[in-house]
Amino acid sequence: MRTKAVIVLALFAALWLFPTQAPGEDQTLYEGDSIYHHITIRQDGTERCMIFGRQRDLRQTCIDLAKPDESIFEYTAMMFGGFLFRPDAKKVCLIGLGGGYIPAVFRRHLPRVQLQTVEVDPLVEKLARQYFAFSVPPGQALAIDDGRQFLKRNRERYDQIWLDAFNSDYIPAHMTTKEFLALVKVRLTEGGIVIQNIFCWSKFYDAQVATFRTVFAKVFVFEGQKSGSCIIVASDRADIEPKGLPNEARKLGGRIGGIDLRAEIGKCKVPPVVKDAPVLTDDFNPANLLLMQKK
Amino acid sequence: MQIVYGVFILLLVSFGAVVMSLEILSSNLMSPYFGGSIYIWGSIISSFMVHFSIGYILGGHLSRRRPRISVLAAFLVLCSLWVILIPAFHKPLCEFISDRVVDVRLGSLIAMNLIFLVPVSIMAMVSPYIIGIIAAWRRQSGFTAGMVLFISTVGSFAGTNATAFYLIGLFPVSRIVVGLGIICLFVSLITLALRVDRRIRIPDANDCA
Repeated sequence: MRTKAVIVLALFAALWLFPTQAPGEDQTLYEGDSIYHHITIRQDGTERCMIFGRQRDLRQTCIDLAKPDESIFEYTAMMFGGFLFRPDAKKVCLIGLGGGYIPAVFRRHLPRVQLQTVEVDPLVEKLARQYFAFSVPPGQALAIDDGRQFLKRNRERYDQIWLDAFNSDYIPAHMTTKEFLALVKVRLTEGGIVIQNIFCWSKFYDAQVATFRTVFAKVFVFEGQKSGSCIIVASDRADIEPKGLPNEARKLGGRIGGIDLRAEIGKCKVPPVVKDAPVLTDDFNPANLLLMQKK
Repeated sequence: MQIVYGVFILLLVSFGAVVMSLEILSSNLMSPYFGGSIYIWGSIISSFMVHFSIGYILGGHLSRRRPRISVLAAFLVLCSLWVILIPAFHKPLCEFISDRVVDVRLGSLIAMNLIFLVPVSIMAMVSPYIIGIIAAWRRQSGFTAGMVLFISTVGSFAGTNATAFYLIGLFPVSRIVVGLGIICLFVSLITLALRVDRRIRIPDANDCA
């Protein structure tokens, strides 16, 4: 009886110590905690993903190792739609590194653009380098800092500021407020644009659009067709019109790497409709509560 | 006697709730200036722990020297007024600090202590003070030190949940803080008005020290 129990236990221990994994199946390459997140890196076939927080979390960054150029997520493709509004952009600031897919597209296809990336979590940088071949080429820079603190302390101005720092179950609330967006506006060049990636389905979306409207003259939304992602594009210039977008897309050759800009144009909605949504401020900021509420 | 216990429970529940509500709100007060990292929570919790410790020592000591609720209530009036004023000075203070201190850990620790040292230390005096009075009172009753801590902790539970799950979604943080200050002031004034000390007979109150 005893020996049987010992054998069974030993078998369980062996299973636990050496989990069987057929090659090509979903594999966990890394799992650990930083001071900000629980981070998992998984690979399924040739697709490798960095996942923040819970496994079921929708916000992750993935790269297809066989086709590293392809935008696996709709939101990244939509964010590059920002170039339809400012095709001449020379300086871009990206808040939120993830696996470094966006900087890689800049490196390959927009080498003339100076990209300043800001990532709060030093472990994200380390893992991006280790698992996603992230590197900082000449012309790009990376700062490990809180996005708001970085923009506040550095007086540099950008043609585009990209905000990609949100999870589907947590957002850094201090980067959603009217005061923060006013700071972003100060750090934009004349006619500069800000692009923010969020989910369309929560009440937070309405509040965020309403908040953008209090700071910027023009607010557009690209609404995802295959995903729940929405991209807010805002500009201080009131005369920006989406009518000119196909023209701009043509000027850019219709594509940035694997991203078809013409396909993105159709997702642009002007003006986005929001109903009685609160404006988020440093004082009134239920961003994370709103994120949990479906519209 | 009922009134005495009623006042004790009122003080314990309301200050237990307010202190935790302020702790939750601290993250909203700090994050615009020092970021939203776990460092902020480290500063918030460690600052509050220091303030609690100071309050416990002071409360225990004072209740032995002067085991009178009116003395405690006078401190609580001061603490309430401080809380009411927090929204008026928190923004310029945090901006001043974050402009000068680059390290967010140090910056948020300084800000937390300047804002909360006085009011939270006074709030933390409530439980040990009441335990001290009960001890001096030497009345045989079910109101033990454990009961005092239990009631105060129930208040803290309510304050934490109400703030994190509801209040932040309903009101601006500045208004919640002022509201908490007004509740504290109201409770302190009721305590003073009821003149509870006259209902408690403490043998040789001034000799206890």
